Amino acid sequence: MMLPQTMGSETNSKLPFSFIIFSLIALVLSQILVLVNGQMVVNGIFRIPAIWSAAHLLVLGWALMVAMGAMYQLVPVAFLTPIWNEKFGFIQFFVTAIGIATFSWMLYISPHNALIPGILMLMGILMFLFQMFMTMRKQAKPNILTAFVGSALVCLFLTIFLGITLIYSLQTGFAAAYYQAIFKSHLLMGVTGWFTLLIFGFSYKMVPMFSLSHGFPMVQARYVYGLYVSGLVITLLSFFNGNPFLLKAGFFLLLAGFSVFSWHISIIIKKRLKKKLDHSFTFALVAIGLGNIIHLAAFISLWSNQNSALIGPFIYLYLLLWIVLSIMGYLYKIVPFLWWTYKYSKEIGKKSVPSLKEMMNESIVVPLFSLFVIAVFAVFFSIFFETILIFNIGQFVLSSVFILIAISILKVLKK
Amino acid sequence: MMILKDKVIEALKSVYDPELNINVVDLGLIYYVDVTDSNDVEVTMTLTTPGCPLHDSITRGVRYSIEGIEETRNVEVNLVWEPAWSPEKMTAEGLRLLGR
Repeated sequence: MMLPQTMGSETNSKLPFSFIIFSLIALVLSQILVLVNGQMVVNGIFRIPAIWSAAHLLVLGWALMVAMGAMYQLVPVAFLTPIWNEKFGFIQFFVTAIGIATFSWMLYISPHNALIPGILMLMGILMFLFQMFMTMRKQAKPNILTAFVGSALVCLFLTIFLGITLIYSLQTGFAAAYYQAIFKSHLLMGVTGWFTLLIFGFSYKMVPMFSLSHGFPMVQARYVYGLYVSGLVITLLSFFNGNPFLLKAGFFLLLAGFSVFSWHISIIIKKRLKKKLDHSFTFALVAIGLGNIIHLAAFISLWSNQNSALIGPFIYLYLLLWIVLSIMGYLYKIVPFLWWTYKYSKEIGKKSVPSLKEMMNESIVVPLFSLFVIAVFAVFFSIFFETILIFNIGQFVLSSVFILIAISILKVLKK
Repeated sequence: MMILKDKVIEALKSVYDPELNINVVDLGLIYYVDVTDSNDVEVTMTLTTPGCPLHDSITRGVRYSIEGIEETRNVEVNLVWEPAWSPEKMTAEGLRLLGR
């Protein structure tokens, strides 16, 4: 039987675009700050206002804003439900953007006055969580993607909550005995909870879409979810009770969840119709393999005496080679799509319009992204072996690549 | 002389899925094209996946391409998910463009 379906759930492309443009500007500014203050970083001085500012611009201004923008675009697509309130979305954008911009600026010029911008930023993130909650509750049939994205949002909330607890603990001495546990939980929830679960969830929509895969099983996604979320909970518990066996069990479950995810994505890719995949999308797939290796290395390192010294560089690798590389790979697909929708969706069928591939200079993807991966490894090994010269060169290349990637994405707007 | 139904199919071949760069006919998205005696056109089509982000753009493109034919009067585009799209619905040319 044929069931007519006329409901469209396209978001006004200006909304996700606002987030993405802001995020790219934040990315460029963060890297300029790192380059300008390069000498301090090389000398191992990270705790300076410029670096605080750069770190927050990178993690909140770029990664969080890009994730929010992508969600405004992808949630209606993946869940077949329109955004609850687009006007509220624009207000949320302005509150968050002003919050992050002033917060980062204050960290640079006057860190002790960063509280009010911080509250503004927090309000923006809470507004986003409210918007997503209202949107997703309208979904007719929740599925495994709902579980991934919903859990990612819960982790984002916990990250913020734990972050505020950290600041409060520092200022008042509240729960001082648990400061380290709260700090580790803040990182776990932010990095592996929020970002990884979000990328997992949307990968199940984007991978089949960009590879035109058909007839693949989805049962593995349940195991990925079960294993990974159990891993998060057990690791979190281990931080508070200090049991090393529990920590190993948690890391093992995280590794198992990630490995099943990699295996499942490889099954989906094998079922693809599109023989030649786009380069940027291929790098998003490479990021999965790298994330899996980092999970394995982190698990193995638990048996080493140097575990506490290794964990920092591992978090760095995980952030850059899994999360940032995935986001960048998908950005090269999402931005041309948004601009195409804005500019050509009313022209299609009337006159010849460009394909999405023609919106982006694909020839620069392989050299730029390869350089990115090499530079990240260079920085990782320089931290590990304490080689200042390699760190200096690696960080310079990395910042330059970030800036070039941001510019090449922004160039789409000229098409 | 070309009949209107053929003209409609030709016009549909000018509507490309911008992600795959294959037209909607070769992609097997068009299920039926009905043309009445009074030149009203009804197209029944699908997309490769429910919740395709190009949902509105492609269906709009299909409508515009048919409205661009002089003889047509009313155009109706029905988007359906049953039967679901499958690779078997693609033409040989569509498969070739995917590298198959």
